[in-house]
Amino acid sequence: MNRKWTAAAAAVSGMVLTLSACGGGADGTSAGGDYPSEDMDWTIAFGPGGGNDIMARTMVDILQKNDLYPENIVVENKEGGSGATGWGYLFGQSGTGYGISTTSGSFITTPLQADTGWEPTDFTPVGLMAADYALLMTAGDGEWSTYDEWVEYAKSKGTVAVGGIGTVNVDYIVQQMVADANGYKIDYVPYNEEGQMQTSLLSGAIDAMISNPGSIMGQIEGGQMNALLFTGPERLDALADVPTAEEEGISDIPSMPRGLILPPDAPEEAQQWWIDTMKEVVTTPEWQDYLDENYLLKDEKWGEDFTAYLDDTQSSFEEQLTELGAL
Amino acid sequence: MDVFDNLAAGIMAVLTPGNMLLLLAGVMLGMIVGVMPGLGPSAGLAILLPLTFTMDPTGAVVMLAAVYYGAMYGGTITSVLINTPGESATVASTFDGYPLAKAGRAGPALVMAAVGSFVAGTVGAILISVAAPVTASVAATFGPPELFLVVVLGLLTLVVIIGGNRLLGALSALIGFAIATVGIDIGTGQQRYTFGSVELINGIDFIPVAIGLFGVGEILHTLWRGGHLEKLGYFNVSARSRGFWPNKKDYKESAGPIARGSLLGFFVGATPGAGATVASLMSYNLEKSVSRTPEKFGKGAMAGLAGPEAANNAASSGAMVPLLTLGIPGSASTAVLIGGFMMWGLQPGPLLMEQNPEFAWGLIASMYLGNVMLLLVNIFCIPAFASIARVPFRVLGPVIIVVCVLGTFTVNGSIIEVGIMLACGVLGFFMRRFGLNPAALVIALVLGPMAEESLRQTLIISGGSFDIFLERGTSQVLLAAMVVMLALPLAGKGIKKASSTAMARVGRKRRDDTDVDANAGEDREHDKVGSA
Repeated sequence: MNRKWTAAAAAVSGMVLTLSACGGGADGTSAGGDYPSEDMDWTIAFGPGGGNDIMARTMVDILQKNDLYPENIVVENKEGGSGATGWGYLFGQSGTGYGISTTSGSFITTPLQADTGWEPTDFTPVGLMAADYALLMTAGDGEWSTYDEWVEYAKSKGTVAVGGIGTVNVDYIVQQMVADANGYKIDYVPYNEEGQMQTSLLSGAIDAMISNPGSIMGQIEGGQMNALLFTGPERLDALADVPTAEEEGISDIPSMPRGLILPPDAPEEAQQWWIDTMKEVVTTPEWQDYLDENYLLKDEKWGEDFTAYLDDTQSSFEEQLTELGAL
Repeated sequence: MDVFDNLAAGIMAVLTPGNMLLLLAGVMLGMIVGVMPGLGPSAGLAILLPLTFTMDPTGAVVMLAAVYYGAMYGGTITSVLINTPGESATVASTFDGYPLAKAGRAGPALVMAAVGSFVAGTVGAILISVAAPVTASVAATFGPPELFLVVVLGLLTLVVIIGGNRLLGALSALIGFAIATVGIDIGTGQQRYTFGSVELINGIDFIPVAIGLFGVGEILHTLWRGGHLEKLGYFNVSARSRGFWPNKKDYKESAGPIARGSLLGFFVGATPGAGATVASLMSYNLEKSVSRTPEKFGKGAMAGLAGPEAANNAASSGAMVPLLTLGIPGSASTAVLIGGFMMWGLQPGPLLMEQNPEFAWGLIASMYLGNVMLLLVNIFCIPAFASIARVPFRVLGPVIIVVCVLGTFTVNGSIIEVGIMLACGVLGFFMRRFGLNPAALVIALVLGPMAEESLRQTLIISGGSFDIFLERGTSQVLLAAMVVMLALPLAGKGIKKASSTAMARVGRKRRDDTDVDANAGEDREHDKVGSA
């Protein structure tokens, strides 16, 4: 895509948020060399207000407040094709160290679904900073409010209708793994929007659904919905009563990566600069606040470890979804 | 009463000079965004949301509510003046708005739309204040079966739009349904008609198609007719001239549609997923059904503009109900807002109103004040906008095409969508040329995927049985509504037949009387339509 055009359109729409970091050089982070000396082109592969957008803007905010990046960071939302457009744009910046983007679940699933021309492992990894885990939810007025009660109900019914976002997604895998572990069957109902799925659950059309703690905590606190099971490695402080999948004997439920990537073949100097800098970012109180507010668990893997994690996650997704017939 | 105290407190909180400036800025920005074809409320909110991240929540929400209304109204301006809806919710406004503008009544049409929006926004704000809990409990009974039925109610509009030429109309709708199948099939995750293109995996968006079919298609068709050679019958649109303001008859004709549209819009808007588009289409459908002069619809009936305009505005208030009371976003725009809530450090959910009353009531109050501001701004701006109709076509035509290209590109920065838009422009030309119906195509494109998705979800849940529609309470109510909507035009026909026989009888009795009396009889009939 012609960059001039993009820039012009972005200016017209006021989408460009230019953040001037007026700090003095890169003395805090000694990576040597002359990186960074140019503006950073920060791509958000989704629209404003979504999970990926919030994470990216939090990071940029921290970088700016702490004068970590000496030049400007230009943030731009490039949505489309479930992330394919934005990450495709980053893929096209191959070889430079001045393009960057945040990842989320679609970074794994979109290439499985469509011929995007890139794979997660093609990009230069900075690191994984957090992982998104899921909650199994039921409506607050149902007869079952705990995991055990739910399993008992589902088994007695034989087949239950359960919801999740999309088909080629972790939600489907989680629902199927829980069902398999307990010997009941599911009719999986895929939704496009969280809002419709939530009302669907409240209306009694489906028996259970998958959601992320960040987007559902308000409903849990309001007593409108019950959280039954958490897929993370340990219980959430805010939901101390909710058992983890591990405790219930279900292991290796995949999670969604929240990390940072540079274009393919970015200079080593740039990669190292970002790894060092992000290691600093994740120690800031602002980052901790972000994790707490969104109920994300700290999960840090840097450089090649992140690529290995992406590779593992994608192959286990592919295997499980193929088994389910979704791919 | 408690709610009025809360509302008053909310209005007081919003009524600071700083907030009023934000409100004004929001309305203006929203209108500018909305006037760009393709950029509607949800795009406007998405674009301007990042600017509010550093504001305090009340100021931020005041501005965004203003942007929301401004953009909604901006979409109406383009629908009426250049036949190009900025978003799916204003498609219905083109049906009669554009014919009105062509007939030289752009001024009255825009003022009436602004008045309708203002009344609906006010009714919506009052309904939120008093009926939010009840509405929320109804909204919470909406699962896929109910959503499907609401979408079908919207699709019934096709029958009204298609009108006389059933074959070509049905063909147009089928083309729309076909375009709607492009993209990833939600049921199985398979790609349909994407031909391996990544750009198409999310389907073909409504926006480039609508801009092409309506905006560019209309220009091409006018060129083909030789419209650029015609001398324009200049009409005066200055605010002082008599033709600029709606006349008594306009107000009379619009009062009923605005009232019905406001109520209908609010409740349809509160149902998650259906929202403003379905509300405006249902309102159009309803007005044509109850009208004594349905033959005027599509040729510039004020009722056909005022009703849908009121409905789409009331629907945007209605969409706030599940957002504020359940924490559930019911529309694309409210989904963007919920992202904003989180950035401002608020936890969306059923406790939002309890925990942050000043914020929630500030939002409701700013919706109310946003409508007042919109009306004020528009009284000054409409003459300027309406004067577009005075620009000669040979100047206006190319400008519209440039604006269409720019608008389409700005939405997603996608050159492929610009290509789709231009291709649809050519398609729109041939559709007009051969009597097909672009509006039917667009309605099918917008509602088709919603209908398909909700029906498939319903059938997965029910294991393939249609009985589920009869088992659920809200479904039963909706089915009953559908029967009424189908029966109304038929009943209306019966009444009309009866009344015309009666008239004929009177006419026979008065055969010796003069023609003037017969005309007087017709005038009376018009009055009845207005007060119906």
